[in-house]
Amino acid sequence: MTLGGLARAILVFVVLTVLHFTLRPLLGWRAPIDFLLLAVLTASVRVRPAGAVVVGLLVGLAIDSLAPDTFGATALAMTLVAYVASWLKAVFFADSLPLNALFFFAGKWLFDIIYFIAEHRLFGVELVQQLVLWSPLSAAATAIAGVLVLVLMRPVLGPAPA
Amino acid sequence: MARIGRASNRLDRVALAACAALSIVALALPAQVRDPIASSLRRSVVAPLLVLQERSELSRRAFLAHDAVVAARDSVALRAMKLVPLEEENARLRAIIGLGARLQWGFVPAEALHGKGVRDEFGLTLSAGSNAGVARLSPVVAPEGLVGVVDNVDPTMSHAMVWTHPDFRVSGMSEDASAFGIVQAHVAAGPGRYLMEMRGVPFRTSVKPGTLVVSSGLGGVYPRGIPLGRVIGETKTSETWARTYLVRPAVFPADVSSVMILRPDRVARGVDNVWASGMVSDSTVRRIVAAGDSMARTAALEEARARQAVQDSIVRDSLRRAGITPTDTTSPTPATPSPAATPVPRPAAPVVPVRRDTTFRDSAAIRRDTTRRPRRDSAIALPTPN
Repeated sequence: MTLGGLARAILVFVVLTVLHFTLRPLLGWRAPIDFLLLAVLTASVRVRPAGAVVVGLLVGLAIDSLAPDTFGATALAMTLVAYVASWLKAVFFADSLPLNALFFFAGKWLFDIIYFIAEHRLFGVELVQQLVLWSPLSAAATAIAGVLVLVLMRPVLGPAPA
Repeated sequence: MARIGRASNRLDRVALAACAALSIVALALPAQVRDPIASSLRRSVVAPLLVLQERSELSRRAFLAHDAVVAARDSVALRAMKLVPLEEENARLRAIIGLGARLQWGFVPAEALHGKGVRDEFGLTLSAGSNAGVARLSPVVAPEGLVGVVDNVDPTMSHAMVWTHPDFRVSGMSEDASAFGIVQAHVAAGPGRYLMEMRGVPFRTSVKPGTLVVSSGLGGVYPRGIPLGRVIGETKTSETWARTYLVRPAVFPADVSSVMILRPDRVARGVDNVWASGMVSDSTVRRIVAAGDSMARTAALEEARARQAVQDSIVRDSLRRAGITPTDTTSPTPATPSPAATPVPRPAAPVVPVRRDTTFRDSAAIRRDTTRRPRRDSAIALPTPN
């Protein structure tokens, strides 16, 4: 990755992070868009898996600091999702929007599965309802938002590296 | 090259394992270790992002609250719009309660039901009927004055002809009973149709504008003293032998919602001082104030008189000590001599008839004036006689 590409990736990462803390609370949806996960995913496909897991761990720990009772759950989920995303980046080399949407959807759903299992807050029916109903909805919203971000920032991001 | 690739893969796996292990360790940390780490992250890295989130949530709250604020404002505006009619209705109800308290007995309260949609100008449906004691030709009154007369009675409801009806007549008179006439609706077009006219007032009698016209009690239908309206002025008619006056009615039937129906026994006993209680109370207050002034004036005069008497007594005592016989000008009553008042025996003199003069008086009389019992309300302590 060139220096310019790195700067652009950082820019997109910052923008998505800011959106996570501004637009998401403003919308207040029951199935929210996870801009932070989009930021991690878009960064992960542009770096090696080792870098991706570090980004995922740091972002996850930062988010975990807001909920100390489940400290580490987001970090674990982000780490795994970032590694998988970085490992699968060849799949999305074609820069196909549907594939990217699927990638975001799967990433968010996987993240929620890992997160809700790791945090040990929801059990039984509630956990199933969260993972089967609300998490896919949130993943769909995140995927749509991710596609929109890709479309809007294509001039900045360029095609995903191989 | 392949070695480099394998090394990178190994590095990736090691990084993954390390990060995952760190995450699991973070999950398993005890609270006393976990909380300081989380707190330090919140205060450093996450703090600016939290500020952004806080502002966003405030914006969202303000956006959501805007609708609620607008709804509350609309509700308040709506209630404020309803407040004026409520206050007016409250005032009307207070007035009708006051009228009921003054009448005390012999009346039936009723609601005046206007026509469906369009208000009937000549009649009112009343929510009380013969079961409540309402009879035909019972006067219908409001706190302001006469509304009309019952012309049709059902067991539970009745119908009243209001004064705007062309056939309505009531014998009226001026408040001081100096002029009598027949009061009826003024038949005219435009705003004048909502006025009354008092017809048949003798030509030699003049009624000033503003004079209150009340029912005269003649005819037996309406008791004497129910306000009908106030004279606006004289109007010219073809009747040259009598005067006709325009009267502004005391009651506008369209504004009436609650009324009192006077029962026949109450009509027979009259309604004296029911509508005049305001005037009576005013004059009573005036009389009380005048009486209070009079009492104060009398007390002041008494006090001044006592002062004068004390001063006169002191002067006379001084003169007497100096050997001068004083004269009294304060007491009009002739005095009788007192033995104590004649310290020096007078020489024998021929008996001469004493001329009684109200302007001359000896000292005994003066002393008796000074020993007069002090008034209770006087603050002056009169000196005791020597």
